Amino acid sequence: MLEMLKKELQTYEAKKSELVGKSKGKFALIKDDQVVDVFDTKIDAIRQGYERFGNVPFFVKQIVEIDIPQNFTSNLFGV
Amino acid sequence: MPSFTTQIPNMQGVGPIVEVRLAVGSIIEEVLQKTNQNIPVPVQALAMIDTGATGTVVREDIVKQLNLNPVGLTLINTPSSTNVQYYEYLMRLLFPNNVVVEAVVIAAPLQGQHIQCLIGRDVLRHGVFIYTGYMDTFTLSF
Repeated sequence: MLEMLKKELQTYEAKKSELVGKSKGKFALIKDDQVVDVFDTKIDAIRQGYERFGNVPFFVKQIVEIDIPQNFTSNLFGV
Repeated sequence: MPSFTTQIPNMQGVGPIVEVRLAVGSIIEEVLQKTNQNIPVPVQALAMIDTGATGTVVREDIVKQLNLNPVGLTLINTPSSTNVQYYEYLMRLLFPNNVVVEAVVIAAPLQGQHIQCLIGRDVLRHGVFIYTGYMDTFTLSF
């Protein structure tokens, strides 16, 4: 179970409809129960996260209706 | 164009592997410097170029060694599982010949001690990957 970012993921899910309506395709920076801001690029959101909060967990999430999984063909994965 | 070429005996058998160093991202380094905190020493790892990987993956213990915290979550599909969620981390990949790539990587269990990092298409999309099978060499340029 992924405990870190659990609250942030809940925050995203709670505000997802609103975010998709306003900022689809952009990147949300989320800390605890707050959507801090929305950015055009992932790296801009990450930079802001580090500058604002330091080296602690925060959540950068692309605002999309449906999340598409990343694919791995390697059998090196232990999952 | 920054570039390196590696010769691997029996590349068909072992794959296109390369020794890399994994470091904290440059943004994190700046923040740690500003706050007078120690910057973790880069970790040596054996990486494989994996055109079958959407993204770059590092073994989970490496992020602990670098004292990194997650900046995101992603879903992954593997040959044996679907929609498994893993953390993402900002990291720098230091290849031979001072070739440096900054990437948001996934931390996941990789079986065995042999390979600690898979270089995926998120990194390859920025460059040129030349696999010269009959010479047992590969070249990566950015």
